[in-house]
Amino acid sequence: MKNFSLAEPQTIEQVKAFLSERREKSFLLAGGTDILGEIKDEIIDPEIMVDLKSIPNLSYIRKEKDGVRIGALTSLAELAENPLIENDFPGLHEAAKSVATPQLRNMGTVGGNLCQKPRCWYYRDPQVKCRKKGGSRCFALGGRNKYHAIFGGGPCYIVHPSDLAPALISLDAKISIAAPKGEKTIPLADFYVLPRVNVRQENVLGSDEFVREITVPPVKRGEKSTYYKLKERGAWDFALLSAAVKGVVSGGIFSDIRIVLGGVAPVPWRLEKAENMIKGKAATEELLRQAAQETLKEARALKDNGYKKDLLEVVLSRATLMLV
Amino acid sequence: MRKRKELSGIEEDSLLYHEEFRDKETEEPAVLPAPEKEEFKILGKSTTRIDGQKIVTGQALYTHDIKLRGMLCGKILRSPFACAEVVSVDLSEAQNLPGVHAVLQLRTGRVNYAGEQVAAVAAVDEKTADKALRLIKVIYNPLPFAVTEEKAKQEGAPRVHQVANVQKFNDYSRGDIEKGFKEADVVLERNYKTAVEVHQPAETHASIAKWDGERLTVWDSTQAIFNVRDGLARVLKIPASRIKVIKTYMGGGFGSKLGLNDYTVVAALLAKKAKRPVKIILSRKDNSLCVGNRPSSHQTIKGGVKKDGTLTALHLKNYTCGGISRGDQCSEPIIDVYRCPNLKVEEYSVFTHTGASRPTRAPGHVQGTFALEGFMEELAAEINLDPLELRKKNYSTKNEGDTGIPYSSKGLDKCYQSGAEKIDWQRRNKRPGEGKGRLRRGLGMASQIWWGVGREETLADIKLHQDGSVQVVCGTQDIGGGTRTYMATVTAETLGLKPKEVTVKIGETVYPWCGSSGGSTTTPSVAPAARDAALKAAEYLKQQAAKKLNLEASEVVIQDKKLVNKNNPSQSVAIKELLGERLWEKVFHGEYTGRPSEFAYNTFGAHFAEVQVDTETGQIKVLKVVAAHDSGRIINKLTAESQVIGGVTQGVSTALFEERIMDDSTGNPVNPNMRDYKIATSLDIPEIIPLFADMIDPRINNLGSKGLGEPPRIPSSAAVANAVYNAIGVHIREIPMTPDKVLEALKRKEVAR
Repeated sequence: MKNFSLAEPQTIEQVKAFLSERREKSFLLAGGTDILGEIKDEIIDPEIMVDLKSIPNLSYIRKEKDGVRIGALTSLAELAENPLIENDFPGLHEAAKSVATPQLRNMGTVGGNLCQKPRCWYYRDPQVKCRKKGGSRCFALGGRNKYHAIFGGGPCYIVHPSDLAPALISLDAKISIAAPKGEKTIPLADFYVLPRVNVRQENVLGSDEFVREITVPPVKRGEKSTYYKLKERGAWDFALLSAAVKGVVSGGIFSDIRIVLGGVAPVPWRLEKAENMIKGKAATEELLRQAAQETLKEARALKDNGYKKDLLEVVLSRATLMLV
Repeated sequence: MRKRKELSGIEEDSLLYHEEFRDKETEEPAVLPAPEKEEFKILGKSTTRIDGQKIVTGQALYTHDIKLRGMLCGKILRSPFACAEVVSVDLSEAQNLPGVHAVLQLRTGRVNYAGEQVAAVAAVDEKTADKALRLIKVIYNPLPFAVTEEKAKQEGAPRVHQVANVQKFNDYSRGDIEKGFKEADVVLERNYKTAVEVHQPAETHASIAKWDGERLTVWDSTQAIFNVRDGLARVLKIPASRIKVIKTYMGGGFGSKLGLNDYTVVAALLAKKAKRPVKIILSRKDNSLCVGNRPSSHQTIKGGVKKDGTLTALHLKNYTCGGISRGDQCSEPIIDVYRCPNLKVEEYSVFTHTGASRPTRAPGHVQGTFALEGFMEELAAEINLDPLELRKKNYSTKNEGDTGIPYSSKGLDKCYQSGAEKIDWQRRNKRPGEGKGRLRRGLGMASQIWWGVGREETLADIKLHQDGSVQVVCGTQDIGGGTRTYMATVTAETLGLKPKEVTVKIGETVYPWCGSSGGSTTTPSVAPAARDAALKAAEYLKQQAAKKLNLEASEVVIQDKKLVNKNNPSQSVAIKELLGERLWEKVFHGEYTGRPSEFAYNTFGAHFAEVQVDTETGQIKVLKVVAAHDSGRIINKLTAESQVIGGVTQGVSTALFEERIMDDSTGNPVNPNMRDYKIATSLDIPEIIPLFADMIDPRINNLGSKGLGEPPRIPSSAAVANAVYNAIGVHIREIPMTPDKVLEALKRKEVAR
């Protein structure tokens, strides 16, 4: 680990100033549960760490008329324990609860969880210079790829590790980004980009920008949500595969449905085809299996991750049926 | 010397046979008879650790914690390549960095695994040492390598040593294997695989070296202070008498800390050069690379059985991969535990360009038991017999599958009985996989055999001080099993004290000799030696008291810090008073001197597991493990139970998660950390119920105790795998049983239909 300076901005304006200073070498620090590991493992070598924790009032969960606003510095534990979230958005509540361990949830933040780097073991190996780190080769492609992508891969085959992102996208959440020229708010679904668009970065955040807030639109009448995560062990594990489902259902029929998967692609993976197949019909296990089969037509399994196709079928149907 | 002939008249099939046999033999005990447990007030009960409070409040000092005046931080540069020629090492820039006090080149020529030492520095702090490492310029000429078994076995694969990568290291046979297969009604052949496992002690490896002139003191996180001392003497070419090794407290070793380590030598060399103490702490990544692992195994068992369950032949072929060193001998369980006249074993090491293996809690037995016990389960299903009955049917009373010498004591039958009762064995699926639905439950079991005897010549001293205080001293080390506590307990029991009233001194090579803490040998070495010394001390006190009280020594008993006339309890003298009359302290030397050689001494056990399998996701939930053990007399029930809970936890963890995964293109593990190398979390640990047969071995030592360190680690992975088989009707035959493998096995079952 090399020396870096720690900047402690007091205002959002000061953050922008620090970030603009040494663009490629300035990094944001919030909970630190991901980025400190990256520094210690020598994946990155920042010159300036801009500590967002020094800015007051970036941690909150507030109900307003256009929805629930979540400050980027809200801890995952606070999110998981918030009664408003648990009541209105059980899917988001489940997702927050499913992250890592109590210790990591106490430190980790909402903004950090959405912007965390992938857990691909080649990316995390300081001795490996892969595509994502500016190299010419994806080591996972011909290597050990049990946990890698079955959708959207190439030229890099990471999966996005966030649990919150699929849940929030299923809820049509928006993300507010503070930028030098002012703030912009975009759908969270548009925040993430595939490696074929930008292999170095998983989202559109500019090097002089940062995530300030998430807005989840108000819950509609009859709207339900869930998050179903499969992992290998009981705690401290990223999703092998997860599904965030939000829907409006009555009499077993979905008038509206949104399905977003985690653990299968370099970005949270929305299943629009499956949604269209399910919408307006009785959501039976058979229909859901068909929808999964349709979805899987686009899947490209690597050597070790074919089992994720089996899991997708199960997760899609279990998660969706939870809402019925 | 074998006693087979003398025993031939005894009913061989009877589970009670060994009881009968034991009674006869105890008439002529070869060592001081082990007293029946009724005589004891403290031994066999639950005693809390005498150092427990110190440990949980952070007062216990571990090697990591020790700070010496002027101490430097030592760091080692390791090869990133699995195989390479070290062309040159330029240390000059590192040497010139302010704060760097010593640099060393450790390697010329070929490095044979990623993580092999190349150079080292000692600097004022960790940051400077890290910086110095980055300034070392090494030119490597990378060479082709093979880091996986599959690749190393291929024709023309890069060789690890001058010999071929596949080398036979074990060849054993008895009886006539072909005849055995002809006698069988059913012959089955199955393949079983176990992954490379990493020890992952909570405290990573660490050493501190300090020179005082020609004398060297080393603080080491080790399971074997004397091995470290003697190893250092050999390597540094200085007399062992000038080296002192100290181990204070340690956070686990599991076999990876049994001998002298290369980094300890580096610490000593750097300290010599820098003329200041040097501490080296290895990283979590180093733990995966260069301080040992449990070799993988790839075992094929072919076995023959009669319809009534009688084993007629067993043939084991094993390929085991221990990196640049030999794999594990996995055949001991199959050779020993069941009666089988015809047996053949062939074992091969497959060398790879990965760090050398080291013993890992029950080396070979864990892998061998997984395969053998899985096979027994599949064999039982094949002949439609209760798997427990199959084991009982082939019960042996002599080692080497009933062809060798008699066991001194064997309580496996008791373990079968108590374990089956506790788990309610009749609940199991009578046909594997006969349950319905997506969540399937199943029960499985596995037998365990291990050694667990003491080391002859183990010494312990008891010191009676003039002020009445008592000290027990031994050059052993407590690696977490509670050694301090049972030394106090044994001494206290014998001298009429409370355990906390005894001061225990261990962990330094200036104390009386004791071997390494490995092989489940510590308790059966140290406890008898302490007991021997304590008995001598007790005898001395009785004689002194007898003189004072005008009695015969035989009339005096020790009770509650006093020597009492057993015929007239009102007549007594306090230990303190007796000792106060002395001019100096009195020391008693105790020793564990061994056991008669015409018997086999083994520990036994049986684990019973209950699991639930999600047949759609391949997820396994272990619900319960009942772990029944015969380790002779249990000295401290509380720490014995802890030992069992720890062993089962590791077994469950390996059954479900643990695997070091090597990458063929980088030559490095992809998971050299604790996030990707998954070990069980508290949510994954089932209810664990330890049970003890609590038999007292009549001749192993003066307490009748056997070891318990490794036994509980041995059968749990196998029992879990067998329970999964019972639940879903297809044996996974490979650990870890991750969801991908479970789903694959379920597909195999569909295809078979």
